Amino acid sequence: MPKKVLLVDDSTTTLMMEEMILKQRTDYECVTAKDGLDAISRAVVETPDLILMDIVMPRMNGFEACKRMRQQASLRATPIILVTTCGEEEYVEAGFQSGCSDYITKPIDGFELITLLQSYLGE
Amino acid sequence: MFPGRMSDIPNSPAELEGKVSTQNAGDQAKVYAARMRLQNALDQADALDAIREIAVNLIGTEEVAVFKIDKKRSELWLYWSFGADPNKHCVLEVCREPRLTEVLGGKPVFRSRSANENLLSTDDPVSALVPILVDGSPAAVIVLFRLFSHKTGIEPVDREICEVLSNFAGRAIEPYHSR
Repeated sequence: MPKKVLLVDDSTTTLMMEEMILKQRTDYECVTAKDGLDAISRAVVETPDLILMDIVMPRMNGFEACKRMRQQASLRATPIILVTTCGEEEYVEAGFQSGCSDYITKPIDGFELITLLQSYLGE
Repeated sequence: MFPGRMSDIPNSPAELEGKVSTQNAGDQAKVYAARMRLQNALDQADALDAIREIAVNLIGTEEVAVFKIDKKRSELWLYWSFGADPNKHCVLEVCREPRLTEVLGGKPVFRSRSANENLLSTDDPVSALVPILVDGSPAAVIVLFRLFSHKTGIEPVDREICEVLSNFAGRAIEPYHSR
């Protein structure tokens, strides 16, 4: 059974790009959400194997969504990777405080993304 | 620890080939996503939002502006901006900005990684000047300012994305421009 990845971003450009990279280079199944609130409800229903989530989003940002996901028993162990515009220490620290497993910086590099996801999900 | 950053150097030719083809797939996905986003823009506001999305998520800058070219082609007036201070960049005079002459010829201009020269006479670093072509002629210019601090410069894939912006962003300035 293919691994399932939940992609969360309010940018359709980013979702399209991430989905295309994953479909071309992996067998992962992709599901998408447009903001933090949407992501929580999708994650509860879909129980993805990994969540790749932007930070700056309307309605609920990635930090808050990550915190709330960690309160759900079914999502406590799910790897959550936050997508950030900057790799500055305090920003990264805030991500880990919210319960994320890892982070990747924009603009996303295809090779970095695949390598990172495979380190959690396998090839 | 982030494994992607630890394994930048491939261990074998096969691994190098895999890296290159994954890299290419990523670059193609960016160019395709940029084109689809612009072509499917619902209206002028959505097309401007597409420019913002592409600048932030695919190229890597949170400071972008669009300047419209006046009829005499002597001045460019600020039309829209995101992240850039609109008070600092209201008007650009072509006679004072030599690199704009090249852009008005229809081709994007990029800041070279090695050169110290800025593309415009402003304190803010300008990474690229991209003409928006309407019916084959430049009608506006997209200015991409400072790149994210972790980004070392404009890369080949960014140049391809800028070509897409140049050819498919007409709707952002001409509401009735066909897709």
